[in-house]
Amino acid sequence: MAMHLRIFREQLLLGLKLHARKPPAVFWLVCFPVVMLLVLGAVFGRGAEPSQRLVWARDTAPSSLDNLFQRLLEERGLIVEVLVPADAESRWQSGKLAALLRGGSGHYTFRINKYLRGQGGQLEARVQEVFLATEARMSGVGELARIPVADASPGGRGGGSYVEYLLPGLLGLNLLMVGVFSCGMLDVTMRAKGGYKRLATTPLRRPVYLAAQIGVQLVLALISATLLGLAGKVIFGISNQGSYVSLFALLVLGATCFISLGYLLASFASSVEAYDGMANAVFLSLMLISGVYYTLDTAPLWLQRLADWLPLAPMLGALRAVFNDGAELGKQGPATAVLAAWTAVLFILAVRRFKWI
Amino acid sequence: MIEWAIDATGLTKRFGSTDAVRGLELQVPRGEIFGLLGPNGAGKTTTLEMLEGLVHPDHGDIRVLGLSWRVDANAIRTRIGVLLQYTQLDEKITVSEALHMFGSLYPRSWSADRLLQLVQLEEKADVYQGRLSGGQRQRLALALALVNDPELVFLDEPTTGLDPQARRGLWDLVCQLKSEGRTVLLTTHYMEEAETLCDRIGIMDRGQILQLGTPHELITGLQQPSYAEIEFDQDTPNAVAFATCMGLPVRPKARHWSVGLSDPKADLPRLLACIAKLDLPMQQLHVRRASLEDVFLQRTGRSLRE
Repeated sequence: MAMHLRIFREQLLLGLKLHARKPPAVFWLVCFPVVMLLVLGAVFGRGAEPSQRLVWARDTAPSSLDNLFQRLLEERGLIVEVLVPADAESRWQSGKLAALLRGGSGHYTFRINKYLRGQGGQLEARVQEVFLATEARMSGVGELARIPVADASPGGRGGGSYVEYLLPGLLGLNLLMVGVFSCGMLDVTMRAKGGYKRLATTPLRRPVYLAAQIGVQLVLALISATLLGLAGKVIFGISNQGSYVSLFALLVLGATCFISLGYLLASFASSVEAYDGMANAVFLSLMLISGVYYTLDTAPLWLQRLADWLPLAPMLGALRAVFNDGAELGKQGPATAVLAAWTAVLFILAVRRFKWI
Repeated sequence: MIEWAIDATGLTKRFGSTDAVRGLELQVPRGEIFGLLGPNGAGKTTTLEMLEGLVHPDHGDIRVLGLSWRVDANAIRTRIGVLLQYTQLDEKITVSEALHMFGSLYPRSWSADRLLQLVQLEEKADVYQGRLSGGQRQRLALALALVNDPELVFLDEPTTGLDPQARRGLWDLVCQLKSEGRTVLLTTHYMEEAETLCDRIGIMDRGQILQLGTPHELITGLQQPSYAEIEFDQDTPNAVAFATCMGLPVRPKARHWSVGLSDPKADLPRLLACIAKLDLPMQQLHVRRASLEDVFLQRTGRSLRE
């Protein structure tokens, strides 16, 4: 036993040392989630802000209705730019306008740029709302009341910003990467290139060796998660609201699940090239349908249900609940159950299919 | 009674529809350098991997150092050393780290310094193995195979891909292993290597050992232990008439004919007479001892290099 522990420790340290000698590879492994957080956080900020600018094409002198409409639009935070139709059309054709309001004196039309539907749709909603208010004012109704709205996370403790949504997603995605790319690739490389075979001629016990190799990847994943947490805290001011025990337990369960998945996948590949294709197919499809970077609420219902039964989406749900809302892991029963079931099945299959040679 | 380092009987191994090894028998006494010589695909590596415990034979019985893989696998592993055809190591592991790493897997191991000295890599101790030359890498692989001071060493094509100088360097090391009392089982498809290094040779083809003996026994046991080589200074002429005259098969090569002789005393005068009779433009005549290549050729009708 003492000998196995010694071998485990030495293999683990050697593995880390060898990784430290390959800075480009390690940078990608460790810093990918942080880079994604910084880039996506910068792009989408604290929630998607609607476009502030509305171009209005009008060739006649403004009527009193037009004047009131424009004033109310500006009161709702829009910068209204009035152009003659010819200029407005050439702006439209440049492709930069999300939407274009045309006409005057109650005869308005609204055009939305198909390629900027997100912004255009939000502009439309505001313009429509302000138009109704304008008409109400004109017919003497006065100020219309609005229902107050706030962004909030399901548990009510998070602020509901995009970065809060993104960070736990990256935390989970990182584990999928560790499992499918790092561990699976290592396994298939060692097997295809005869590394395992050479070790199999020595008295080294397989579980000791594999534990050390997985340990190396887990250390890297832990560094990566720490960097991600630090970046979230320092740059975006968000931090874990839940207990670190719950968070850690979830991450360990997720890591076991995805590392098993990596080894299981690798057991079906006979070459590094073949594995590359398999790993990407699994990684990309899981990532795209599990709501890592964006919510799936506009996806077809069957796809959302499917994702709920795959391991990544439930794990991300539980991670978000714990990280953003300080939820207890026990309250995340269904999600944890799905993840735990996957973990058990994948682990058993991976162990049974593992090949040393 | 002889103490066998390896005692294998009735080994067979089938991969899919190919019989890689078919009923192989092999006994190697302790202290011997034994070579399996054969072309690619003869089943040498499969045989070795069965003996090394990497591949389970379909049938047959193996005893390594008197132990059985089924019962004493780890005891065997601590006492054997293995050099595979390819040794996969991390590019960025240094030579001495690799030696330490492999040494740490055994209850008892040689120091890295001693191994480095043995394979003459002292100056490369702190170099990443990815930066070593082919010969240095192979010497490191050999050092790794010796890290546990093994009684039995398996070397699978130890010199394939090495330049002649590196090859000779490795031969010296293998001879040293023997002088230290170790048993060595190696495979090769270089007849010169087999002839220089091995106490005994098993000539292998299509999953079986065709013939077994010392290099000398194998060659003198041939029906035609000598070869006459008739050299021309132009392209070799058609050999049919000459073969008919001699009553012996003639192998035409680029610049010469090769004729196997069973009784040089009787055959050579006849050969000269035929040359004179057919008025052949012969330049030189050499008589040489048959080689292991010829042993293989005479047994299988094919060349080792095919």
